[in-house]
Order: sequence, then structure tokens, then C-alpha cells
Amino acid sequence: MNCIEIKNLTKKYKDVKAVDNLSFEVKEGEILGLLGPNGSGKSTTINCILSLLNYEKGEIKIFNTLMSPTAYEVKKQIGVVFQDVAVFDNLTVYENIDYFCGLYINSKEKRKEYIKDALDLVELNEFTNYYPKQLSGGLLRRLNIACGIAHKPKLIFLDEPTVAVDPQSRNSILEGIKKLRDLGSTIVYTTHYMEEVEILCDRIIILDNGKILATGDKDELKKLAKIEEKVTIEIMDLKKSHIKEIEHFPNVENISYENNTLQIVYKKGKNNVVELLEYLNQNKIKYNKIFSERPSLNDVFLYLTGKELRD
Amino acid sequence: MFWHNFKYTLKNLLKNKPLIFWTFAFPLILGNLFFLAFQDIEKKEQLEIFNIAIVEKEKTDHTQILKNAYMTFSEGESELFHIEYVSQEKAEDLLSDKEIIGYVILSENPKVVVSKNGIEETILKTVTESIVEEISLATTIQKEKIIDGLSKPEFDGNIEFLKIQVQKEVEEILKNTTVSLKDNSPTNLSYTMVEFYTLIAMTCLYGGMLTMTSINNNLANMCSTGKRIAVAPTKKRNVIFSSVLASFLVQLLGLALLFIYTIFVLNVDYGNKIFFIFLLSILGSLAGVALGCIIATLLKTNENTKIGILLAVTMSGSFFSGMMGITMKYQIDKNIPIINYLNPANMITDGLYSLYYYQTNTKFYFNVISLLIFSALLIILSIEELRRQKYDSI
Amino acid sequence: MIVFKTFLKVLNKNKGIILLYTLILLIFAYFNMENGETTTNFYAEKTDIYILLEDENIGLTKNLVDYLKSVSLVKEIKEEKLEDALFYRDVSMIIKIPKNYRIDTLNGINREIEIQSTGDYTASLEKMLLEKYLRIQKIYLNEQLEETKVIEQINETLNKKVTVELTSTLDRSSLSKAKLYFNFSNYAILAGLVFVICLMLTIFKEEKIKKRTLVSSLNYKKYNRILFLSNGLFTIILWLLYVLLGFVLIGKTMLSYHGLFFMINSFIFSMCALSIALLIGNVSQNKEALSGIVNVVALGSSFLCGAFVPMEFLPKSVVKISHVLPSYWFIKNNDLISNLEQISLKEVHPIITNFAILIGFIIIFSIGTNLISKKKLKQS
Repeated sequence: MNCIEIKNLTKKYKDVKAVDNLSFEVKEGEILGLLGPNGSGKSTTINCILSLLNYEKGEIKIFNTLMSPTAYEVKKQIGVVFQDVAVFDNLTVYENIDYFCGLYINSKEKRKEYIKDALDLVELNEFTNYYPKQLSGGLLRRLNIACGIAHKPKLIFLDEPTVAVDPQSRNSILEGIKKLRDLGSTIVYTTHYMEEVEILCDRIIILDNGKILATGDKDELKKLAKIEEKVTIEIMDLKKSHIKEIEHFPNVENISYENNTLQIVYKKGKNNVVELLEYLNQNKIKYNKIFSERPSLNDVFLYLTGKELRD
Repeated sequence: MFWHNFKYTLKNLLKNKPLIFWTFAFPLILGNLFFLAFQDIEKKEQLEIFNIAIVEKEKTDHTQILKNAYMTFSEGESELFHIEYVSQEKAEDLLSDKEIIGYVILSENPKVVVSKNGIEETILKTVTESIVEEISLATTIQKEKIIDGLSKPEFDGNIEFLKIQVQKEVEEILKNTTVSLKDNSPTNLSYTMVEFYTLIAMTCLYGGMLTMTSINNNLANMCSTGKRIAVAPTKKRNVIFSSVLASFLVQLLGLALLFIYTIFVLNVDYGNKIFFIFLLSILGSLAGVALGCIIATLLKTNENTKIGILLAVTMSGSFFSGMMGITMKYQIDKNIPIINYLNPANMITDGLYSLYYYQTNTKFYFNVISLLIFSALLIILSIEELRRQKYDSI
Repeated sequence: MIVFKTFLKVLNKNKGIILLYTLILLIFAYFNMENGETTTNFYAEKTDIYILLEDENIGLTKNLVDYLKSVSLVKEIKEEKLEDALFYRDVSMIIKIPKNYRIDTLNGINREIEIQSTGDYTASLEKMLLEKYLRIQKIYLNEQLEETKVIEQINETLNKKVTVELTSTLDRSSLSKAKLYFNFSNYAILAGLVFVICLMLTIFKEEKIKKRTLVSSLNYKKYNRILFLSNGLFTIILWLLYVLLGFVLIGKTMLSYHGLFFMINSFIFSMCALSIALLIGNVSQNKEALSGIVNVVALGSSFLCGAFVPMEFLPKSVVKISHVLPSYWFIKNNDLISNLEQISLKEVHPIITNFAILIGFIIIFSIGTNLISKKKLKQS
């Protein structure tokens, strides 16, 4: 069952295509990650889905209903957490949540209950009477989330909810999102932090220049990069001849040596480190640190676009 | 939903300190300053008694008459000045120390010495002139009467007696001839009232800031809270209407505060047409709301610029309707009336002024209608703009 | 140098609002001066009147009109604007000569001249002049009825002129214009300077910058001194701007010793405004509250000390209170300077005293600023 169906969505800002013939769907109960660098069209896509923006072409259906600004029944089921913190400075934490929740839910009793749940979820119970200005960046982000999800929507959009957040708050936020999924919500999550996507998302769409580059779960995507292992090793004064020899080891895709650091990328991930260490020992080459990694989504992005995902 | 949003808009506005300062406290502070600065200005428009000196240089036939004549101006109800009789040197000193306005040297032809030109100096000169004229007048009439008397059949040849008789007769004439003017001066001439009228006008229009702020909060292209409201399952019309209504209420609250303060603390007398004054002020606030609406919706710029524009419109409106100088309104009305026909601040000020000063209410209703047209026009334009649900960019 | 450069950078970043503010104040100063001449003219010698003539302009009536024209300033105003003209003191009196006034008066019927007046002192003067004329006319008419003879006699009587000697040769109108301009500059300097300097200070004091400057090798005292000098430089530039505008608007008078005194006075006052700005900037760290404080300080001292409404028109109690404000001494000095007849110890002495009082204010404000800033430094 699909929550959202998007067909051929195109949105232009003057002559620039921000979203280019985009088609995808969101399945019920999943966390879908929209991954892409800044300016790749993630927020624009979400704003189009929410009918905030005019678009040139395309069709957007949510819960099998054509989305429009007046599709109130659909809107009732949606919760949105925007990229910018969207709260009123002159209202307290509690009042802010109550205000936004009240746009969805009329019953005061029910609202009280819902607000409590939201406060529990984002762990802001101790701060109900604080004003936004008194909160740290992380707490503010949590409030931002609480305002978006207090009415228990079935479908939640989170647009970069962790920008400029300390690690502790970030973990709390990510945990909260998982909880929401476990409670039965479908989640669309945009970010340019690949680590978050890896931890969180069931399915990932990689966007660049308003186009979909790839879709799949993280393992499927990583296969795309056609590499399986990356070994980084610190060696003082490695001779050119040695580098040449290592380059011809099996499965080596790429090798680089800079600042006394050797990096080797392997196509397949079997026994590569053992073989390398043997070689180093035989040639009596001294090394310090060594570590091996599985490829990240950044490598996938790098492979697909030739540029880094990070800013 | 309507009242939910209404309640929170109220809360949001009342807790916004800078906004409340400008719409509530600032008019009160300004009102206080007007009160302190202007409370005496009209009293001081009237003449104050000033000091002069008289120097007797040479004694002539008229010296005593002259002195008596000056005396009449320094006593009684129509007292104009105090007189000191001094030597010439002393008079010069007094003048250079600004103790006296000027001095008169009594001689055959009295001479007035003053240090500068000014209204009090002119009065001294005028008084002296009229005294000299009076003497001349008396002499002329005496001469004629004596000639008359000489040619009359009952003249008995006693010229001295005739002279004395004529002199008495002339004195009687001079004493008993008075003239009266028909004084039709209007009663309500206190032009400092205009200051308070411009203050009300300014408060009404400043109130637009409240409407502007709350509409901005509801607009998806202005701020992120607006986006949140836009994705909520609420009719935009309802949200904005309830926000505007709440802002209007806050604005009326501020206005009420201004009235209460000026009436009960500053003792400003708005006259007996208080109902009309309230009516006009409420309409003025509506114009403020309309102004806030149009600036919030039509201009696509950040909030600070919007506030700047609203302040600039309000301040220049108040300027042209006489806030910084009461005669500015008159000069504009007289020379470039079109500015003030379009100026909402002037519609309010002029309406209140008409109530205060004119006998008829025609001009008051003209201003009422102007305000209604102004508000309706801006609100319709704003609604047209607000009907759009989606934006090209956010 | 770094502090100074940062200062210039911040100045440059905020040039929009600073220019706007300065421009508005300059425009207000200009308007105030142009308009002020008609509103509070202390050197009026003649009353502004309007003659509503319903009678034929011949004989007795014509003589009355001619007389009024000679002793007052007769204005041309559209009849429907007459009510407004009286209210706004464009004329102080409207004199209505009714129809058949001449005929009736010659026939011994008592016809009253109708007046509408504002009741101010120029109106009182006009009333005096008008009543005098009418009385003379009545006396002569009682003696004989021949119109031309009466007119001749009236005019002969009124012709008795009194010699008036003027001891001062000062150009009053130009000096009063200068006084008006410099009095208004009280508001402009306070509003403009205090606003800009406080803005700069709050930007500088914003926590991040504060910490960075505190830990940097720069000595705290030296940092403060450079910041003070930068603000001082800005003050001087702004002062020069106002003096320059003064030269443009007032002209020749500015080149006399009066001009020199006006300039010294406004310079000391600018420095005083600087010290006020530094004090406020140190007390308040809140950018939003700033424009409120500035407006209240500037408008308050301008209204209470006679920058807008001349001090002579203010209630005595207000004037008494305003002694505690520096603006009072500045404006008082402007008044003294505009009345300065010659450079003599007697006349210059009070001006110098006021200078000293203003400098005293500067010292008090500076000490206050230092105390507060030291206290704050310890707290953080």
C-alpha cells in the first residue's frame, strides 16, 4: 500500500529546474530517506508534495487523494517538521505545541493527552514553561519536532531536523523518529547526513540536481559503488616502487598516497588486509595505524556523481 | 479553531514587547510630552505684563498729561506694563540688562528707545503714539470749538472762560467716547488639540503593526510558522480572519488606554461629541488594520523592511497632518490638498478637528467616508492577494 | 587598528539605516526651520489679519482699510479657508466691515465692526489699533459730518509719529533662524548619534565578539579606548555634517562670532550626546529596546527643554525640571548666543558657564559608564 505517489513532478525557479521529472512513491510504515547535498531539491520536493509550492508538471497523490491546498482530510493525517525552527518566540514550549496541535484537534482533553505524549517523545517534559529563546539549539529542534507531530499524524515529513544539533540531542531525535515509525507512522526524512540515513532509513532515494540518482535500501545502494572495502594505513616514507607493487594486488580498484597515508580501495572485501600486512612485513615497512571500512553512502554518491556529498 | 487561533494570536501579540511598546507605551509617552510642552502655550500667547521706564528730560505743558496717560496703561484691568521713573543712565542700564523692554524720553516730542524689534516693543510704541495722538486730537477739537464759540452770539467776550469751558467739554468728550467691536470669535480655538488628534491618528495607524505581525505569522512565504499553518487542515480564510480580529482587538485596547490616559490623567478635553470621536477612532483603527494587511500581503520582503515601511508611512502621514508642527497640516491643506485627501492620518486628524471646530458635521462625515473607502480598498486588495493558496517560491 | 577597522566594517554594514536616519533628521530639521518662521515668530511687529470687506471701498471705509493695511499685514486667503486660517493662526484676526457701513456711520447710525480673533497677543495689539482708530473717527464725526474733512482730520491725527530709537543692530531674523536650527539639532544629534553609537556598541558587545576581544592579546583598556576614539570620530563627522547644513541654510551669520559660538556649543553638546550614548549602550544590551530608549530620550529632552516649543512657552515647572538635562543648557546657550550683542565679559560669561556645565555632564556620564562597564566585566 502506497502512502504517497508522485508522478513526473517538475518545478522550476525561473529557468532553473529545482525538481526534474521526479517519480517515486512512499510505502506505508516505512522510513524513506531523501538524501542529497544542499540544493539538490529535497525541500522543494517536500514543499510541492505539501501543496505549498506551485509546480509546472506532475501529479501528487497522498492516501490515494489528489493533494491540493484544500484537501483538508488528507492534511489532517500529515505532520510536518520544517528545516527552519517554526515556533513562536512569545509562547512557551507548552503553548507552542498546544497552538499547532489545536489546528488539528479541537478537543481540549484529547489535546492535553497528545501534548504529553509528544513531550515524552522528545524528552522536553522539564521545559514546558520555558520560552524558545531560553532553549539550547538541540532542545529547540526537539520542540520543533514536537510541534509537527503532536497530533499523531499517519504521515510525517521531517526536513533536515538535525541541522546544527549537538550529538546527544541528535541521538534523542533519531530515537524518537524510530519510535514514531514503530507506533505506525510513515516517515519521509530528508537530510544531507548519510550516517543518519544509514542508521534510520528503510529505503533511501539519492537526489542530485532535482533528479533521482538511485533508490534502494542501504546495502543495495552500496553495491552500486562497486567497491567493498577501503583500507587506510599510516606509513612513513613509502617508496614509489612499493606503491606500484601494491597497486597490482588482486581486487585493488584505486590507490593513493598522501601525507604519509596510504588509501587502498578494493572491489571485493576478502582477506585484503591480511595480504597487505604480509607484504609490509616482508618488506620491513613500518606502519602505525591501520583501519578498514565498508564503503559509505558518500562513496556511493561520489561514485555516482563524481563529487562529495558533504559540503 | 477560530477561537483557538484568536486566543493564541492575542497571547502572541500581548507578549511581544517591542510591538507593545510602539503601539501602547510610545503614544502615551508622546502624549505626556505634548501635554508638558503645550499645556501653557496658549496662555502664553496672551500678553504678559512687561516693564518699561520713563525718563523725564524736560518739563513741558504736556508732561503731566503724558504721565497720566501712561499711568492709565499700567493699572486696572487692561494693564499692559509696569513703569519705573528713572534717569537716562539708569534706563540705559536697565535696557542693556534686559530688565525693561524699552524706555520713553518725555519731551515736546516723546521718543521711544528699544533694543530690538518685537511685539512688546511695538506695543510700547503704539501706546506712545496713541497718547501723542490723543493730545493732538484734543488740541484740534479745542481749537475748533473755540473758533465756534467765538462766533456764537452768546459769547460774552471772556476768552479765558471760553477756553476753560471748551477744555472741560473736550475732556468730557474724550472720556465718554468709547467704541465697541462685535466679537464673533469662535470658542474652540485651542490648536494644541490638533497635537492630540495627530497622536490618536498615529496610534490608529501604528496599530497596523499588530495586524501586520500576525498576518506575517500566518503566511507561508513570510515565515516558517506560516508554513506550518499552511499545511494544517484549516481554512486559510478562518485563520487570517481570526488573527486580524485579535489584532484589531489589541489595537482597540491600546487606543482605549490612550483615551483613558489622556482624559483622566492629562485632562485633555475632547468635548461633548465623544461618541463621534470614538466612532472616528475605531474607523481610524480599521484603516490601520487595512494598512497592516496591505503591507503584509502585497510586499514581498522581510519583516523588518515591512515594519520600516509601515513606520515611514505612519510618520510621514502624521508629519503632514501636523504632528511635528501644527501649521504643517494647514499649509498642506491650503497648498497641496491632494496629499491630505489621500493621507489616512489626516482623515483621522481632520475628522476630529472638524468635530471640535466646525459648527456643521459635513466635513466630519466626509472624513468618515474617506476612511471607509480607504480601508475597504486596501482590505479588498489584500484579500485578492491572500486568495492565492500556493506560492511560486517560499 | 583592528578594532577601528572592525568599527568601520560594522559602520559600513549598517550604512543603510544610518543614512536613512540621518537623512530623515536633516529633512525634519529643514522643514522645521522653514515652517518655524511662521509659527513662532517672536519678532513680529505687525499682526496678520484678513479684511472681510462687504462695503464699498470708498470714503470712510477706504480710509479704514488703508489704515489697517498700514498698521498690519493683510493676507490673501480664500473665503472658505478663513475658519482654518484663524484656527491655525495664519491670521490672528478677521475684520469684517459690514455692508453700508460708510453710509450708516455718516448718518450717525452706530454700526459695529465685526471681529473674529484668536485672542493671542498680536490680536490684542490689532484690537488696540482698531479701537483707537474707530474712536478718533467717532469723535471727529460727532463734531462734524463732512466726510472728506473727517478723513483729513483722522489722518492728520494719526500722522503724529513717535521717534523710535533702536539700540541694537543685530540681524535678528537671521539669528533667530540660526537659533531655531541649532535648537532643533538637539533632537537630531541626540536621536541620530545615540541611535547609531548604541547600535554599534550592542553589535560590538554581542557575546561572541565580547569573548573574543577579551581573550585576545589586546589590552581591555586599550580596546575600550580605541572604541571610544572611533565613536568620537564618528561624532565629529556627524557634527560637521550638521554644521555644514547650518552653513547652507543660515549662510552669512555662521561666519560671524555668533556662528563660532553656535558651533562650539553644538560641538560640546555632541560630545555630551556621545557620553550619553556610551552610557545607554553600556546599560542596555538589547537591540530591540534600543530604538525605544533612543526615541524616549531624544523626544523627551527635546520637548522638555524647548527644542520644539520655545522655552518661553513652556510651563515654569517643566523648565525647572529640565535643568537636570544637558539639553536645557545647550538650548539656553543657543538663546544667549542669539542675543549676544558684543564680546564682553559680562555677556560671554554666562555662555562659558553653560559650557562648563555641559562638560560637567560629560564627566558625570563618563564616570557612570566606566563604573557600569567595570562592574559588568567582573560579572562576566
